[in-house]
Amino acid sequence: MKTVIKTTRLQKVYNGSVAPVTAVNDVNLEFYEGEFTAIVGPSGSGKTTFLNLIGGLDKPTAGHVHIEGVDISTMKESKLFDFRLRNIGFIFQSYNLIPVLTAKENVSFIMLLQKRPRAQMERRAVEMLEQVGLEDKLNSRPNQLSGGQQQRVAVARALASKPKFVLADEPTANLDTKSAFNLLDIMLRLNKEENITLIFSTHDQRVIDRARRVITLVDGAVSEDKAVSAEKNV
Amino acid sequence: MKTLFTLAWRNLWRKKKRTVITASSVMFAVILAIVLMSMVTGMREVMVDSIITNTTGHLQIQDVLYDEEPSIDHSLYYNDQVRAAIDRHSGEIAYTVPRIGGFCLAAKEITSRGVYLMGILPQRESRMNDLSSRLTEGKMFTAEDDFAVVARGVADLLDLSLGDTITMMGQGFQGMTASGQYRVGGILEFPLPEQNNTMVYLPLKEAQHFFAAPDRLNSLIIMLDDEKKAAETAQRIQGELDQEWYVTKTWEELMPAKVAAFDARDAQISIFAWVLYMVAGFGILGTIITMIHERLREFGILLSIGLKRSQLAIICLMETLLISMLGVIAGIVLGSPLMYWFYKNPIQFTGEVAEAFYDYGIKPQIHFAISPEIYLNQSITIFIIALVIGMYPAHKAFTINMVRSART
Repeated sequence: MKTVIKTTRLQKVYNGSVAPVTAVNDVNLEFYEGEFTAIVGPSGSGKTTFLNLIGGLDKPTAGHVHIEGVDISTMKESKLFDFRLRNIGFIFQSYNLIPVLTAKENVSFIMLLQKRPRAQMERRAVEMLEQVGLEDKLNSRPNQLSGGQQQRVAVARALASKPKFVLADEPTANLDTKSAFNLLDIMLRLNKEENITLIFSTHDQRVIDRARRVITLVDGAVSEDKAVSAEKNV
Repeated sequence: MKTLFTLAWRNLWRKKKRTVITASSVMFAVILAIVLMSMVTGMREVMVDSIITNTTGHLQIQDVLYDEEPSIDHSLYYNDQVRAAIDRHSGEIAYTVPRIGGFCLAAKEITSRGVYLMGILPQRESRMNDLSSRLTEGKMFTAEDDFAVVARGVADLLDLSLGDTITMMGQGFQGMTASGQYRVGGILEFPLPEQNNTMVYLPLKEAQHFFAAPDRLNSLIIMLDDEKKAAETAQRIQGELDQEWYVTKTWEELMPAKVAAFDARDAQISIFAWVLYMVAGFGILGTIITMIHERLREFGILLSIGLKRSQLAIICLMETLLISMLGVIAGIVLGSPLMYWFYKNPIQFTGEVAEAFYDYGIKPQIHFAISPEIYLNQSITIFIIALVIGMYPAHKAFTINMVRSART
């Protein structure tokens, strides 16, 4: 399988008020194309920091992150912005849509920044919103959508530009069970259909149950990395 | 850029009330400022016009010593050299107004008083300051007549009526005695007491004869087609005259104290206008700071998903400019009718305030000017203030920690 992300001796240390805090400690991992991976662990185990590092949002204290062979840990910020725009999709916990844009405009936004042709962009935005079951909410603003619907728009936005991989930081944390399952079904389906690598940070068992690979972080270090049978996810 | 503009515009209307209140503060500052500036400009225009038409003209050619000691002995010799210089610039010069004058003693029978006798070419003078329109009795002389026209105050003080004789005595050119008797053929009424109580007019040739100064003038007033070219034309005319004898001055050089007084007053008003702008500016700043801080998380997310810092800075800057320009446009739209109303209906003063205006040599009215410059200056001022304020959110966009912001 093709390696999309590879971390080597990845470390992130924050300057705490009392003593330095090691949020990610010597993590060596590889993520492969089309994977549906959950990063799990208790609060403060370093899940979000790890996602920020592999997403190029934060710089490691030590070690490297390679995306398809490109080391992003040493990349200049201006280049990194462009790299993220073209290669990585993000889904945050909640309230991550642009409030003044409609659902369709939100989904188009990244493609707009990528300067894709307008017609192609619009077609793809509508297609993605149909995929997440929001074809009747194209022109709705985020405040006219429920929390679950907003997260579905966020998923559509993250996947619309066909990034190399999508990072989702606790995407179901603020959703009720029905919405969470609905969102997971959509993500799983898109993962298969679009063959986009999906990596979640979560401590939500509903997500963990559907992941094909579960990596457990404890105190910033990998304590377990196990593959789950595909049948379980279906 | 269109997307960034759309985002900025829509962001403004996320909290409509706040945007309206902030734009309103700019609007009121603009209304006050344009009305204020319209008044200042209008007053200055009237004062300058009054100085130019009643006193100095746009330019004057004088004897080099006249400014130091304005007497008939320092009158200029209006010779062919001066005429030739004037002729060569006839394209820029509308007309010239020659004057000769000096203080004299005027008497009728046993009553006497000091007057200022001025020799003029009546048609030119009327063209410059509409002197003939001030006639209340009798008629204005022609260049060839030999009678006098006196101001109402002089006529009253000396008990002069039409047809009476006024006797005048004074100092002529180079020690000659100036004396003469003239029939009063007309009486003029001036609004300024200073003029009304002192002025006596004679035809230029008659006055030159009176002062024993043929071909001499106190000054040759030059009225131009374009006032803005005064300094330039003065310089060119001066270049063609004998520097030892003649000097060409603009009205500003002839009235430096007045110009300084105008500038000082304009500066005071400008300070007041800037205080208005500062108040409006802090209103905008307050709104922008609030807008930025309540959207830090959004900024973090926008940067995370691929928006560049420079693009975020442009959005923030656009928001500041848009909110300011909304205020400017509203201010101009609402302030213009007010300004126009004042332009058509100047504020009139009476009593002591009116006297103070007369002391300045102008009608007791506050005039308002209508000029694109007034609007332009206000727009540019607000634009600059908005740009300066916009530096704050722009700076924030460049320095924000996107990870920390996205978590807030």
